[in-house]
Amino acid sequence: MTIDSRSAVSAGVADRGSAAFEGRAVGESWGRVAARSKVRGELQHAADEALRPCLDVVVTRSTRPHAEILGVDAARAKAVDGVVDVVTGADLHALLGDAIFTGPAFADQPCLAVGKVRYVGEPVAAVIARGRAAARAGAEEVAVDYRELDPVHDVDAAVRGAPFVHDELRPSVVFGDLAHLRGIRDTNVNYEYVLRHGDPVEPPPGSVTVSDEFWCPPTHHVPIELPFTAAWRDGDRLEILSTTQTPSYVRQSVADLLGLPLASVRVRTAPLGGSFGAKMYDRLEPLAAALAWTRRTAVRIAVSREEAFLLTTRHGAAVTGSMTADADGNIVAADADVRYDTGAYADVGPRITAKSGMVASGPYRIAQAHVRSRCVYTNKPSAGPFRGFGVPQVTWSHESLVDELARARGEDPAAFRRRNLLREGDVSVVGTPMHSADFVGCLDAVTAALDWESPLERPTGRYRRGRGVAVGIKAVLTPTISNAVLQLNQDGSATLLISTVDMGQGSDTIMAQIAAEPLCLPEGAVRVVAADTDVTPYDTITAGSRSTYHSGNAVRRAAEAMRDKLIEIAAARFGVAATDVKITGDGLVSTQTQQKASIPELLHAHFGARGTTLTTEADFRTTWQPYDKRTGRSPQVTEHWFAGAAAAQLTVDTATGRVHVEHLAIAGDVGRAINPALVEQQLTGAAIMGVGHALFDQLVFDEGQIVNGTLLDYQLPSIHDVPDRITPIVVENPHRTGPYGAKGVGETTIIPLAPAIANAVRDAIGIRFTRLPLTSERILDALAAQEEPS
Amino acid sequence: MSTEITLLVNGERRAVPVDDDDLLLDVLRGLGHTSVREGCGVGACGACTVLADGHSVSSCLARAVRYDGAALTTADGLPADDDVVEEFVAARAMQCGYCIPGFVLMTHELLAENPDAGEAEIDAHLEGNICRCGTYLEIRTACVNAARRRREAAHTEKESA
Ligand code: FES
Ligand code: FES
Repeated sequence: MTIDSRSAVSAGVADRGSAAFEGRAVGESWGRVAARSKVRGELQHAADEALRPCLDVVVTRSTRPHAEILGVDAARAKAVDGVVDVVTGADLHALLGDAIFTGPAFADQPCLAVGKVRYVGEPVAAVIARGRAAARAGAEEVAVDYRELDPVHDVDAAVRGAPFVHDELRPSVVFGDLAHLRGIRDTNVNYEYVLRHGDPVEPPPGSVTVSDEFWCPPTHHVPIELPFTAAWRDGDRLEILSTTQTPSYVRQSVADLLGLPLASVRVRTAPLGGSFGAKMYDRLEPLAAALAWTRRTAVRIAVSREEAFLLTTRHGAAVTGSMTADADGNIVAADADVRYDTGAYADVGPRITAKSGMVASGPYRIAQAHVRSRCVYTNKPSAGPFRGFGVPQVTWSHESLVDELARARGEDPAAFRRRNLLREGDVSVVGTPMHSADFVGCLDAVTAALDWESPLERPTGRYRRGRGVAVGIKAVLTPTISNAVLQLNQDGSATLLISTVDMGQGSDTIMAQIAAEPLCLPEGAVRVVAADTDVTPYDTITAGSRSTYHSGNAVRRAAEAMRDKLIEIAAARFGVAATDVKITGDGLVSTQTQQKASIPELLHAHFGARGTTLTTEADFRTTWQPYDKRTGRSPQVTEHWFAGAAAAQLTVDTATGRVHVEHLAIAGDVGRAINPALVEQQLTGAAIMGVGHALFDQLVFDEGQIVNGTLLDYQLPSIHDVPDRITPIVVENPHRTGPYGAKGVGETTIIPLAPAIANAVRDAIGIRFTRLPLTSERILDALAAQEEPS
Repeated sequence: MSTEITLLVNGERRAVPVDDDDLLLDVLRGLGHTSVREGCGVGACGACTVLADGHSVSSCLARAVRYDGAALTTADGLPADDDVVEEFVAARAMQCGYCIPGFVLMTHELLAENPDAGEAEIDAHLEGNICRCGTYLEIRTACVNAARRRREAAHTEKESA
């Protein structure tokens, strides 16, 4: 049971080790920032902070999937000892108007239901009390009178027509590209993305087509730290402390909600205890803000695990797909019809629908591709972003289809993929070229790790062994913006101000390394300040594996500007040209006169004081060309691509239906690993999460109600579910504009994971599974069906 | 009903008034031991683990009144040179770190009972703790190394005795 030593497949980093690099930070596995205080539990998370006295808020939740609210009776709740106030959606709507409907793509979600409830568990009234126990007791006593409406729970039923979850679509005013959807009625489809590449042609003679229906169930993120938000008024300002990946977004959202200038809203974060997409956009913040502001009080919302399950989920998705290869084994056509179940509120579902739709035919050279991807309302808890941003759901279909297609042709699935994979410079079906996305390198690395070419020992008894592989592609979120402010302290330490949130992915460590590199600062010299919108500059979001590239570039620019400033100051002091001054680990040096000054000396002399700071700042923005409405194509739909692959060797116990993963190899092209050890932890951690998605992790619904929404019922990977052996492989093809060539990595290996395992199961027992997860019951049922004489 | 109980938390005597149904989790957090965390509230994740007289307890399920007089250990109260902490740091056994204090205390409990624990015993002992970041391999390595360190320390002690 080992992690193999790192086998870096480096494509030759052009500038690695060359004279251009004097630093010693990038490419080194510096220890994770705050490692010891994390192990000892001393790191303060949001809910650990000592705050001013706050009233506790607990919400009363809907018991109906779809109903009109006829009345809310709070009399008994208000009589509960300790209850201060009970607030309904109607109360807030009267005060704040339609501003209480928020959301990142559609402004459709009220922080408390107004007029109607749309899922079991939707907040209907907020009970404000002294202490959580009193608030809970009060919330139990709120009586809601409903008139039931017909609900719709199934995504395909919702596509077909009534009942409708919303009377009309309410796209957010922020996005011009959604404006045409405003006011559309009588539909549950809130967004549709269509990709048309090439003209449909008759399949040539000798070609093979495979097709199937696929299903990925909804799942939950379950970061171990529960969501928490506190909010209070500070005069005419509102302050928020929250578990969020998106402080800049929350500031804007709350400012819009309350009609305040951005400067009057402060959103502060603390390191997150995991998130994976669960803690972003509008979660607890709008309600906390609305209550604190309108009630002129300090409130705290600390939710239980059961409530956290209701805040957001991962989209369940149905895919009807087909793929055709010609007689030479080239993929000539692919088709995918994707339906994302976004639940009662759109959240970021429309974005997921488009971004995942554009890669629904996989990382292949395909002459003709057609994708229709729809985002669909149902009466269930809202689905939002989850590590992979909808791409694992479509990868489940294309990597199952590609595998079947290879098998139908009698070809090795890895060899078939290798022939068809996109190469550097190839233009994908969406119209954007490939760069720094080495699919072939990733595929080769994971298959080599499994010794793919050598014959597999295949026992014929109870245990059957198989091998499978899958490849994944994802586009980075584009366009986005990052900013960085760097303060070099006179003593040679540095303070970095960015709004990237460290949630376990290691951004504080990575950004410190990038800042240290041009300045030749040692490990531990750069302190990264936790995002605080009063202090740290705008950053779009910490999500979608975008931070290493975007924030990293802003940080690199700020650090290079700082280096240039230091060189200027030193050149003036030495009386030499700036081109003659170099920065080293010991400080600034004149190559001509050999004069030297350490950073502390230089800044002390420059300012004539100790404790001073030198400041630089930089921004980094990416741009895109919006895709064509009709074809869904664009020559620059994304700034860059993520490439990953997974290969699994496993056994299936035909008596119990249990899958045992013997060896899992995972690879991601990260451009360049800023910190190889942290990259490996991301690759491995995402893979272990993916093993859960492949084998058991799922949210189970009955009539729209979650039936396994506690950790007694919801199964997560434990130490027993870790494969016997995991081989993480860092593939490096430097990105031409990445900071030191780097790109992100957090989602790369979760994308191909489930199909790699299912393909290995197919290899072991000859059964193709189209529905996740591959539970032992499902496998046993399929084995029994296989036995039945046809 | 509020009663005053005495807890010996990391060697320090603390008198606290508690209600009958106050959870040990909340009482300890109220005393500032925020390394004790609620991840599930139902005894299924291990984030709230503390040691009571050396035995692991899910403090989210434990009534504080039952621990009157007990010696409690929380991860933040471990000695500065704690061997298990050292091995977790060395093995890079943390990502977000939220779950890790629970694993550290479980490791302490295991090694106190069985310093010869191998991987199978380690896995069996840690199976109730969830690390959603998927740091299990590093955690296992830290645990194996801490066991080795314990055995070596015991050996050196014997030699010098
Ligand atoms: S919070 Fe106690 S076991 Fe999860
Ligand atoms: S390190 Fe994040 S949950 Fe374990």
